Amino acid sequence: MNLRSRTVAALAVFVSACVGTPRPEPGPPPPSPYPSSTPLHAESPAIASLMDGARTDYAAGRLANAAASLERALRIEPRNPRLWQELSRVRLLQRDYVQAESCAQRSNSWAGGDTLLVADNWRLIAQAREARGDSDGVRAARDAAERLK
Amino acid sequence: MFRRRIFGEIEPHRSKFWRYLRYAFLALALCAASFTLYLDFRVRSEFEGRRFALPARIYARPLELHAGLRVPQADVIDELRDNNYREGIREGDSGWFVRDSDWVEIAVRPFRFWDGQQNALRVRVNFDASGVVQKVQDSQGADLPLVRLEPLPIGGIYPGNNQDRVLVRLSEVPKPLVQALVSTEDRAFYTHHGYDLRGIARAAWSFLRGKGLQGGSTLTQQLVKNFFLTPERTLQRKGTELIMSVLLEMHYGKEEILETYLNEIYLGQDRDRAIHGVGLASLHYFGKTVDHLSLPEGAVLVALVKGPGVYDPYRHPDRALERRNLVLREMRNTNAITLEEFMLARSTGLGVNAKASTGTSTHPAFVDLVYRHLRRDYDEADLRSEGLRIFTTLDPRVQHKAEKVLERRITQFDRDKRFGDPGLEGAVVVTDSQTGEVEALVGGRDPRYRGFNRALDATRPVGSLLKPAIYLTALADPSHYTLITPIDDGPFVWKSRGAPDWEPMNYDRQFHGAVPLRVALAQSLNVATARLGTDIGISRVLGTVQRLGIEREMQPYASTLLGAVDLSPLEVAQMYQTIASGGFRSPLRAIREVTTQDGRPLKRYPLAVEQAFPAEPVYLITAAMQGVVREGTGQSLKNWLPPETAVAGKTGTTDEQRDAWFAGFTGDKLAIVWIGYDDNRAARLTGAGAALPIWGEIMASLAPEPLALPKPEGIETVRIDPQSGLRADGGCEGSLELPFANGSAPVERAPCASAVGTAIDNVKQTTKNWWQKLWGR
Repeated sequence: MNLRSRTVAALAVFVSACVGTPRPEPGPPPPSPYPSSTPLHAESPAIASLMDGARTDYAAGRLANAAASLERALRIEPRNPRLWQELSRVRLLQRDYVQAESCAQRSNSWAGGDTLLVADNWRLIAQAREARGDSDGVRAARDAAERLK
Repeated sequence: MFRRRIFGEIEPHRSKFWRYLRYAFLALALCAASFTLYLDFRVRSEFEGRRFALPARIYARPLELHAGLRVPQADVIDELRDNNYREGIREGDSGWFVRDSDWVEIAVRPFRFWDGQQNALRVRVNFDASGVVQKVQDSQGADLPLVRLEPLPIGGIYPGNNQDRVLVRLSEVPKPLVQALVSTEDRAFYTHHGYDLRGIARAAWSFLRGKGLQGGSTLTQQLVKNFFLTPERTLQRKGTELIMSVLLEMHYGKEEILETYLNEIYLGQDRDRAIHGVGLASLHYFGKTVDHLSLPEGAVLVALVKGPGVYDPYRHPDRALERRNLVLREMRNTNAITLEEFMLARSTGLGVNAKASTGTSTHPAFVDLVYRHLRRDYDEADLRSEGLRIFTTLDPRVQHKAEKVLERRITQFDRDKRFGDPGLEGAVVVTDSQTGEVEALVGGRDPRYRGFNRALDATRPVGSLLKPAIYLTALADPSHYTLITPIDDGPFVWKSRGAPDWEPMNYDRQFHGAVPLRVALAQSLNVATARLGTDIGISRVLGTVQRLGIEREMQPYASTLLGAVDLSPLEVAQMYQTIASGGFRSPLRAIREVTTQDGRPLKRYPLAVEQAFPAEPVYLITAAMQGVVREGTGQSLKNWLPPETAVAGKTGTTDEQRDAWFAGFTGDKLAIVWIGYDDNRAARLTGAGAALPIWGEIMASLAPEPLALPKPEGIETVRIDPQSGLRADGGCEGSLELPFANGSAPVERAPCASAVGTAIDNVKQTTKNWWQKLWGR
């Protein structure tokens, strides 16, 4: 089984779903989260299987299930910044912007020297703040992401 | 009365007599008809919408097996046994396990989880000697990434009468069980119309002989009696029962009546929980679902119908066996079984589980917490009748250990102290330090006691447990406070208008002069802390306490700083949780998911985090709290855990030693322990002397992960000479590495530092300046 190709396929489905589905609720549309670049083979098999399941659910719009799988994974590896980042993406799509930002920050706290991951997190934070209409916050988050380039 | 009045009038008017009699008959018939109509209405309305009140069922967390999981084999086996897995024989497709020294093969039962059905599967789990799962494989030897065991049921939220049942369809009930029931209780069941004339005749005969009303009931009558009527035995009620039985038979088929009967019948008592229906009874007595019951096992259940107390297979195994054999004989007599089947079944033992009774809950304190959380979102009636399935965060392994240690240690302290009745009490809360999930909750020394839940309701002065909030407030201001900032522990009086002077004292009744901030916390110095807290400002400290997750209103008195504030162990856990997870506050959670009885998801309680503090001050306070355990009041923890665990903790002891606390966390677990008397007597126990050993023993049994916080960007580590509080290097004996917020570490070097070319005089000068600067401020 090729996890990466499955993930790409899943993400493609997700993106097209995002474009094609009309938004039922008024208000700003949730920004489409920056696609995850984390390869699953870096994870332990247990985490990889949960992340894979989460991405499939996420692509199919089953956000609650995706979040549940990620929380299951976080119980096993609470210090895994990639899990917190994935959860941030799901929360963004669930329009839970406060949690999206918190999860990205939690991811940053465990990121160590992984500047790519941290930059991604700042971009997620920027998206969450944008959705909440916090323009100063957006600028600050974007600057933080830029600085890591 | 009625009759006598009529007779009073018949003598003079014979023709009138017949007329009245006709009226009377008419009235009677009308009465009987309307009564019957009323009964018919009841039978139909109640039976039609018949819905057994099903308790909400509460489950522990499922054990998730995967390579790398740190869990000793023995703990996995304990959990399987608790969940009624049979040991040693590969019998049936699920519900058993087989083990060897370093592996266990499990036939996992099917289970409907929140996110879907998991079918029965067979797995083999290998362990290494250090208690880590090496691999999890399926029966073909292929690696499985992750396997969930079905979660342990830990209790329920029951209807008022504490009836418990697991509904089954008639098609799931094995034929022999049904045959046993019909052969024994009501042979004519399939042919009668709700009553059995021979049975009634028998009952009437025994009634006339003065033996009271008994026996002779058909299954239908038994069902009517249990379903609609009260248990008293009067002639009138017997009549009502008869009419209703006939009505029931008129409206409903035999199968429907039988199915309801099988779900309704009372089959035993498990402490305060009433076992109803064959579905639950087979789980309770045999640890298997009803469709897996054998002939003799089914006969045991049927034997219980006559009297679950009298034929209780646990308390009266002889009587139960005798009655079961009678049931088998009745089956043989009605040709329901062959002679061979009869002989074989009769030769087996009772075969009931050796399971300990659980009552309505094995862990009432935790179930109480779950119930209170659920009450925010659900009606009481729904919780007690809708059969909701509640998936919680309880870790049975952690819970058992916490219960056992608390119970044993308290008993020990009580014996040593002999302070009379009522004895010492205690409470324990254990959470996952990263996610805020409550893994264990013990509400008192007797973990089965369903009363006062101290973990939630005993609000007690927290004493020094509040100190980390003060030091955290200070360390959030690195331009004024670092871990080595000297704090004055000289005599201190706090004056405020309208309140008596406040003069805190140290535990050892001495003053210690200027002490570095981290030492003031490690030694839990009251005077230095009071001075620090009042310098920073009481309201700022209370702001920190609030941000840590305490919602309770607190008085802005100076004495609050030293813990003159009452909190429950659970509240304390919330406060420390925020520190343990690096400044991210997660509301403590006991519930993960709720589904309907057939598994439809109703609600999730998601993991929520909120950054309450920047990472840097939390990193510093954690380092200071690790100092408490390494070299302060929590030192004796080394008797339980190796120094590498690097526990961060705090002891707490209140006035006259009424309360003993220990709060602390490792890399993955946080625990709070409280010990004291319910009536506030002086317990003469300290946090370090009484609460800490309990904490240490519980944690040690859980093999916790070491605490290693990621160093935030804004933190640097600097080697310090503790004597002078200046920068040191390898040349300084006893120097230590301490974290500082960037730019807040001292720049001057200590005399011992081998700073080549630095004139000693110069260093002395700067040292002096440093001290002057300090005290000049």
